[in-house]
Amino acid sequence: MELYSGICGSYPRPPELRKAIDRYEKGYITKEELNSVYLKSLRMIIEIQERAGLNIISSGLLMWDDLLRPFAKGLEGIKLNGLLRFFDNNFYYRVPVIVDKIRRKKPIVLSEAKNLAKHTTRLKKLVLPGPFTFIQLSRNEYYSSMRSLADDILDALVDEIKDLAKFIDFLQIDEPSLVDSEIPIDNRKEGVNLVNELVSRIDIPRDKIIVATYFHLDEQCYQILLNLKTGLHIDMISTPRKAFNALKEYGFKGDLISLGLVDSRNIKVENVEEIANKAYDILDEIHAKAVIFSTNTWLDYIPFENARSKVEVLGKLLQIMRGEVT
Amino acid sequence: MKYILPDKLPTTVVGSYPRFPEAKKALKLKKDRYSNKEIIEELIQSAIRRVVEDYLEAGIDIISDGEQRREDMAVFFAENIKGFKISGWVRVFDNVYYRKPIIAGRVKWTHEITVKDWKFASTISRGRPVKVTLTGPYTMYDWSYDEYYGDKKEAILDLANALRKEVEHLIAAGAKYIQIDEPALSTHAEKEDIEIEKEALEIIFQGINAKRIVHICYGKLERLFPDILDFPVDQFDLETKNSNFRLLSILKEYSYDKELGLGVIDVHSTRIERVNEIMKDIMKGLEIVPPEKLYVKPDCGLKRLPRDVALAKLKNMVIAAKKVREELQ
Repeated sequence: MELYSGICGSYPRPPELRKAIDRYEKGYITKEELNSVYLKSLRMIIEIQERAGLNIISSGLLMWDDLLRPFAKGLEGIKLNGLLRFFDNNFYYRVPVIVDKIRRKKPIVLSEAKNLAKHTTRLKKLVLPGPFTFIQLSRNEYYSSMRSLADDILDALVDEIKDLAKFIDFLQIDEPSLVDSEIPIDNRKEGVNLVNELVSRIDIPRDKIIVATYFHLDEQCYQILLNLKTGLHIDMISTPRKAFNALKEYGFKGDLISLGLVDSRNIKVENVEEIANKAYDILDEIHAKAVIFSTNTWLDYIPFENARSKVEVLGKLLQIMRGEVT
Repeated sequence: MKYILPDKLPTTVVGSYPRFPEAKKALKLKKDRYSNKEIIEELIQSAIRRVVEDYLEAGIDIISDGEQRREDMAVFFAENIKGFKISGWVRVFDNVYYRKPIIAGRVKWTHEITVKDWKFASTISRGRPVKVTLTGPYTMYDWSYDEYYGDKKEAILDLANALRKEVEHLIAAGAKYIQIDEPALSTHAEKEDIEIEKEALEIIFQGINAKRIVHICYGKLERLFPDILDFPVDQFDLETKNSNFRLLSILKEYSYDKELGLGVIDVHSTRIERVNEIMKDIMKGLEIVPPEKLYVKPDCGLKRLPRDVALAKLKNMVIAAKKVREELQ
């Protein structure tokens, strides 16, 4: 069994970057000056991950305002509306309103992939919003059928992935809506089909694609997720008992599973041994070829100053699980 | 001075108003631990005065102090209730961050938190009632890191007891409108959580002689109904404009009969709603409750808007309410 460790998506913006973004928005600094602070921040958070011993390095999504934003802004046919709460968090996303045909005229996160590749020699991971969650969290005012909307979103994502595939080792497709129990189960089953359709059209090996779900997991959700033809990330923190029962009941026989074992919505630093014990219990229930130890969700929900210790827990966890320390 | 509230469609606000430069300066001085507290108080009062002047200019019936003293709705109470510490900056949206509180010990009320500003606003409101807004126990818990309790219910009920003390002091001072802000509630529709909140509100509001209001916004509010209908409150103050009034059909379904604070101003948009548009929206509310039970107000606090936009929106809102009142005569 191959073992990896890496964060699930974002890293909190370093204070200098927050300030630079503010200053840029107020017109005090140029785009080039902002970009130079961004690159410095990117190098810093790559170094934090490397020093902690992670073997999958994330770009940290430092310039993303929310999961959908780069695409809501970068694709044609979409306008941004007011703020809406992102699942059960005190964090809001801007609702994309689809007002015209969706077209991708230029790459959206390609430069992020290139920058990541330039600054680390370890395995690299980039995040994209999944088509199902994108549709669920958007407001469609243009397409007469969901199928035609889905087709255009899939086309845009496929083109984006084709451009950036050679710069990354793992692709994470975020689909929290797949485990949103308020969405009817048949719709979520369709969501799984949509993701499978997306991955059937791209060249990245399926064991290098992680469909990321978070904030919830129960047996019913998990059953649906098992139809994914990709790797899977699950949140073992938000609904721990239900999540563990789901794994116990249905196991995992796929190639790649990412276990969100470190809580990125709370600043309390976990005891690594306790997490390692949990990880052993889970590994008893599953038969994956590769396992990633990860945070349960993005690290955006804790302050920058607290994120490093979470990353260090992930690094130590990997060492323990590999038997490098006892 | 006595102010007579309209018996139909009174206008009100949710709580916060764009922060005036005086308030910004006061917060900066406080952060820098400036020793002359009198100067800070003068700045805060000056900011509250300007808020009240804007409300009077717009013609709002039930006003607030504009929450000028509050850095943020969670941090302000965390800084004033024993048991809390403050962590680093956590993102709320875009590049906007707040200092997320940490519950580090048993929470306890130790001193008056909102009474002074309520009193000051009341002295300059020309008789208009001033509503007090308190960040609710559920939201305080949900928006903090809990490093002490590990038991949601115990923590929330302790917070409710702390807020109860504050309410007692407000009532003694003469406050007649108490609003508990619970934006986090709409993210958790679990029955267990709703029961905890109900118990918490019973602690806060039991036996008080004042209008009991709970404000909830931005989430899937519809999933809270009908479970929250037996909360011990007189009024639900809701966000409805931003979500295109989709909640109203649900209220209708459950024969809603409490007072309704209807959000007719989108506080996330700088577009100034037209009078006709607001009138139509008020009519939607009148399909649910009679005009005596309908309070006309923005979706949420106005703090994120530019001040001129906030004022223009309120002015149109007041005109619209007045016109609908005339039509009802």
